[in-house]
Amino acid sequence: MSVSNLLQNWSTFRHEHPINDKPHAEIKWAMTIDLDTCIGCNACSVACYAENNLPVVGKEKYAHGQSMHWIRIERYWGETEVKEEYDPNSNFDMVQQDFQADQGAQFLPMLCQQCEAAPCETVCPVGATNHTEDGLNSQIYNRCIGSRYCSANCPFKVRYFNWWNYPEQENAWPEPLPLQLNPDLTVRTKGVMEKCTFCKQRTYTARNNARSEGRPVHDGDVQTACQQSCPTNAISFGNLVDPEARVAKQWEQQQVDLAKEKQEKDEKADNKLRGYRILEELRPYPSIMYLERVRESAV
Amino acid sequence: MSKRSILALYNNFDEAEAVVKELRTTTIKGFDVNDDLIIKSPIEHPEVEEFLGNKPVNIQWFTLVGALSGGLLAFFLIAGAQGNFYAQSKGGKPIVPFPPDFVLTYEMFILGGVYITVLGFLICAGLPAKRSPLYSAKVSEDQIGILVDAEESAAATLKGIFTKHKALEIQEEAGK
Amino acid sequence: MGKDIREDIAWAQINNDVLKSLENPRKLYWVILFAAMLVFSVGVGCEIYQYNVGLGAANMDNPHMWGLYIATFIFWIGMSHSGTLLSAILHLMHADWRKPIYRFAEAMTTFSLMTAGLFVMVHLGRLWQFYYAVPYPSERWTWPNFQSPLLWDAMAIFTYLSSSVIFLYIGSIPDFAIARDNIHPGWRKKLYSILALGWEGTDRQWRNFRVTYLTVACFLIPLAVSVHSIVASDFAMSQQPGWHVTSFPPYFVAGALYSGCAAIITLFIILRYVFKFEEYMTLPILKKTVRLTFAIAMVWTYLNCIEFTATWYSHDQVAKDVLIQKATGPYAPFFWGMIFCGSVVPFAMMVKKWQTSIPVMFAVSLLLNVGMWLERWMIVAPTYSHGYYPWTWDHNQWPSLIQWGIVFGSFGWFTLLFMVFCKIVPSVSMYEVKEMVYHRSLAKKKEELGLEGGH
Repeated sequence: MSVSNLLQNWSTFRHEHPINDKPHAEIKWAMTIDLDTCIGCNACSVACYAENNLPVVGKEKYAHGQSMHWIRIERYWGETEVKEEYDPNSNFDMVQQDFQADQGAQFLPMLCQQCEAAPCETVCPVGATNHTEDGLNSQIYNRCIGSRYCSANCPFKVRYFNWWNYPEQENAWPEPLPLQLNPDLTVRTKGVMEKCTFCKQRTYTARNNARSEGRPVHDGDVQTACQQSCPTNAISFGNLVDPEARVAKQWEQQQVDLAKEKQEKDEKADNKLRGYRILEELRPYPSIMYLERVRESAV
Repeated sequence: MSKRSILALYNNFDEAEAVVKELRTTTIKGFDVNDDLIIKSPIEHPEVEEFLGNKPVNIQWFTLVGALSGGLLAFFLIAGAQGNFYAQSKGGKPIVPFPPDFVLTYEMFILGGVYITVLGFLICAGLPAKRSPLYSAKVSEDQIGILVDAEESAAATLKGIFTKHKALEIQEEAGK
Repeated sequence: MGKDIREDIAWAQINNDVLKSLENPRKLYWVILFAAMLVFSVGVGCEIYQYNVGLGAANMDNPHMWGLYIATFIFWIGMSHSGTLLSAILHLMHADWRKPIYRFAEAMTTFSLMTAGLFVMVHLGRLWQFYYAVPYPSERWTWPNFQSPLLWDAMAIFTYLSSSVIFLYIGSIPDFAIARDNIHPGWRKKLYSILALGWEGTDRQWRNFRVTYLTVACFLIPLAVSVHSIVASDFAMSQQPGWHVTSFPPYFVAGALYSGCAAIITLFIILRYVFKFEEYMTLPILKKTVRLTFAIAMVWTYLNCIEFTATWYSHDQVAKDVLIQKATGPYAPFFWGMIFCGSVVPFAMMVKKWQTSIPVMFAVSLLLNVGMWLERWMIVAPTYSHGYYPWTWDHNQWPSLIQWGIVFGSFGWFTLLFMVFCKIVPSVSMYEVKEMVYHRSLAKKKEELGLEGGH
């Protein structure tokens, strides 16, 4: 049976993604984050805690690096390129030579990049993380055995491991906080990996609603929690395949191609476009495009 | 006619070799030197094979079959499982990727080879088995045993040859 | 130096001496056994605690996903390789001096693989679901992910463990027969009767035995190499700076042989004393093992240099930073400790007088293994502390006592298994030592007979 299955579907089993592959058929969820409008208020992070039942780990565990924030606001001091400036022997906080008080810190909201060719997926021994048909990097909590190889291989380190038993032993939600837990998704037990899902409980609801109404998903049908709570509208989220979607227009305008590890516009000297993807050269093909901050010196 | 087993113990391989040579050159009625003669020794000694004549070893066929079937089984099992398990793409790699599958095929090739070789060993060497009643613990220490199965009529001649070559000890027993 | 072992030992004497090790070892044996149990129980205690509260007890954190567990896992896997070197490679090369020491080296292979297997388990976040990683047919058609190097690891370790258990067992069958014939009646005699499978030493048995042993040895050599290459793939197949290195598989294999040989020297010295094996585990054999270890130490040093220079001259700035941080950051003492123990200490093995000095070699072999353990830690941890993403750099993480306790306990587990094994299975291969002295004892017997004939 399996041999005939292999022979019949051989070509589908041998195609690679996303290079030289057809794009996602119906839906490819993607995001754009405008760093110029981001004010680092952390509202997105708070909204994510509320929406996705993230445990609040407390000061001590946070200091140990065991926090569970699926979206985190990173704070960088200085306006010059980070890579050329850092001193490898010290913590990043210490690198402040370029600190300019009038311009302040620069913020970068970091969440799972939902890579098209995610490094975390291939290494999971049990296949708990996969590429879904709507272009997400899924995480199956029930299947996860906690080998943490996915996080080891994630260049962005945006996967969060349940080091402790938050729901039961650690009392992450003391009474009456359990009442505010989102019933649309689970709380995770100890020993499993979790990460940003692009609020899949919302995207699936939107898709189901659209299907029952017999129409495609429109732009604006679904908002992620972080997008919804952003006071400056820095985050846009939607279907990259839908040419009407704001996200698709932004990617188009910034000439960022999902299936390329090197964008053509970056080769041009007079490139004024702000769109870029983080660690693109490692070929994970991230689904989040960042819009560079407009520097005062450049204006 | 009833059979009789005789075990003679010798001090070293040279003496045992002389006995075997004599047994080979004399024709004794009711005793076939190729079928009825067994040498028991405490160590593996290649010269034993030389004076006993060539006897085939068939283990390598087990090895061949085991290794090939292990490898083939692995590849089809794994590729088939990958094709059936959601057929969901991971990390942009093909659903049936060759490098990982070949690594696992290699491992199963060895696994099959080792297992079936050992199975072949047990079959070819006739193990596990009950020890024959004519067994002397001296053999596992430092003496060489020659065990023959022969017709009653040949027993006297055989014993004669054994004693002629200064056997340390001769045990005998009526066979079935 | 003289011959490997005294050649006028009578065969019966060999049986006696070795079988004695099954009966009455020195008192130190019981001390070691007791200490091993204590150490192991510390590890068990720590694991019970970690199992109950979660892996946070190990004090790992977001960038530091793998800690000492994986480092120690590689350490134990590596240690297993030298058993195969001695028993299979040197067997094919007809190096006779391996004969008195290969049995315990092979046992070391088996037990260190078992210890390594424990670390895979201890490391898992949900230990109770470990069977998800086993390819078994289920009604939901769910299979493990065969693309993952961890799965290759599991498969390779399973193959290696079962093959070396088989190899160890097949090689011991003639010795089980000796034990069966000579030991006093009791449960042990029954045990040996079963294990010997009715071995009589007939020409048919020996003939098939020889071919089987040779075939399995031929399989074990590529297998051993593949096992540690696959462990190296856990790192080399990933994208992380400092791990994504082409030379990792040979580097790991060399490191494995290195730490294994050092461990063989340590165990050699312990067994020699505890079981009174001075006649068999002789100084000339120690000397040969030491020279072999020195050669492998130099191969390892060379591959280390290759790795560093390749990183240094590459344009991979991130990998270069990991290397610099490793050598100058908070890990510097351990990094330089590794260089000292792994590349400087082995030069003590060049001193002729020390090559056969038991105390010196005991100390050196322990230091070498400390160095090799540090090496594994220095492979795993610095990459986490200083990866691609600057915001998650964490240079200050330190493993908790729970983590250290489990690492410590694993040494107890290994020693326990090994010591129990040596008391039950003859740890010197009797029939092969007999082969070593065969020609000499033949001549001696002839002499005696000749004298008798003269009278």
